[in-house]
Amino acid sequence: MPRSVTIIDYGMGNIWSVASALKYLGYNSTVTSNIKEISNSDCLILPGVGSFRKAMVSIENLELDKAIYAAVGSGIKLLGICLGMQLLGTSSTEDGYYKGLGLIPNSVEKFTKDETGDLKIPHIGFNAVEHPNDSVLFQGVAKKSDFYFVHSYRMLPQSPEESILCRYGIKFLAGYENKNIFATQFHPEKSQTNGLLVLRNFLEYKTHA
Amino acid sequence: MHKKRIIFSLLFNNGNFALSRNFNLQNVGDLKWLQHNYNFNKISFSIDELMLLDVSRSNRNLKKFSDTLKKITEGCFVPICAGGGLKHISDVHTLLRSGADKVIVNTSLFDNKVFIKEIADLYGEQCIVASFDLKKNSSNQYELWSSSGRRLEGLAKEYLERLDKLPVGEIYLNSIDQDGTGNGYDLDVLNILPSHINKPVVIAGGVGNSKHLAAGLSDSRVDAVATAHLFNFIGDGLKKARSDLIEIGYDLPIWDGYVAEKVSGHHMETKFD
Repeated sequence: MPRSVTIIDYGMGNIWSVASALKYLGYNSTVTSNIKEISNSDCLILPGVGSFRKAMVSIENLELDKAIYAAVGSGIKLLGICLGMQLLGTSSTEDGYYKGLGLIPNSVEKFTKDETGDLKIPHIGFNAVEHPNDSVLFQGVAKKSDFYFVHSYRMLPQSPEESILCRYGIKFLAGYENKNIFATQFHPEKSQTNGLLVLRNFLEYKTHA
Repeated sequence: MHKKRIIFSLLFNNGNFALSRNFNLQNVGDLKWLQHNYNFNKISFSIDELMLLDVSRSNRNLKKFSDTLKKITEGCFVPICAGGGLKHISDVHTLLRSGADKVIVNTSLFDNKVFIKEIADLYGEQCIVASFDLKKNSSNQYELWSSSGRRLEGLAKEYLERLDKLPVGEIYLNSIDQDGTGNGYDLDVLNILPSHINKPVVIAGGVGNSKHLAAGLSDSRVDAVATAHLFNFIGDGLKKARSDLIEIGYDLPIWDGYVAEKVSGHHMETKFD
């Protein structure tokens, strides 16, 4: 079990909160944009608050994209949080079209009026998340537990396997897990005890790569 | 549909926490005092969001404020909103790297719109809470006041008609008249909002007990209720208020305190010294 977690720093994330939650769970974390440290870590977290385009530009300028691909390719597990999840997608329409890291095969678009009706954008607050029984991230988490969301952009499920969902007018992807790629649209570090459980499940998960 | 929220606000006044009544401040104690008297870690497991507001009237010290923010957020796993006197994008950056998820702005909405746009461009609109301090004038119209209630900006209704054009994620309406009175919210302030508003609304000012929170939560225009009154929720007060509200049927998120102890890798108390 890795006791040390690497938080990828691209200058925009809410890094303190993630680090505090890890500390609470008994893990040390390193916040870095150093490519070597990223490729040598055993567990990566990509946090995020802010604009997709600016984040991707920063990631590309720091060559963190290459470091992330290399790490993931060698079996290191990765958790993208909020914008960090969106960055793993194929592209986003925030501030015009911009390409993402492509580790999750879904694109990111803004909630539309058709989807949300009278509901307010951004989607801010605690909302219930449904998850399959065999989910890694949600082991031991009660069905329909609440998690904290704050976002205007979302990914839509593209296949029945993508079944960590939340409803906000429409069902969107609240989380993602495939091999060593994990992501949550909500903020586990801001979701009280429910979120702490999800983080712990990620940290304790053993990859088979 | 997401849940409604209870927000607890802490007022930071040059290193001390303060109570406010009609925007007059009274210091009550520092961080150690807060932890000792309120067991703040426990309070933080009874709220849906925490606001830390720097209400210092002069000599604001961002370093001190952000250090306090860091200490408070260390054991507090809810969304955090912080602000007060922010002027530069670097201030915002500092708070977001010290545990804040959102920043709250007030005076800059009137005198530095470029700054607001800059925050929105860099961090997204959802990162900004626009705070409006309201006071009723002699002809019963709501006025907007900035600079900690010292500068009149004009009639609220007129200004708020342009609300949808503001690049902000949430609206925080605070009644200066009700502030710290414990008499309950002035829900009439909600009437100044344009009917087509598509941003979450937080109401603040006047909470004295859980019935007042319930009144706010019952209004369909309200997404979150805020209180800054420490003494009204002393001991297990907030926890009890919260469970009472859930029992009556208010749709608030529910936590299991036992799980917190189970998942903690070490002792759950955060020491504030």
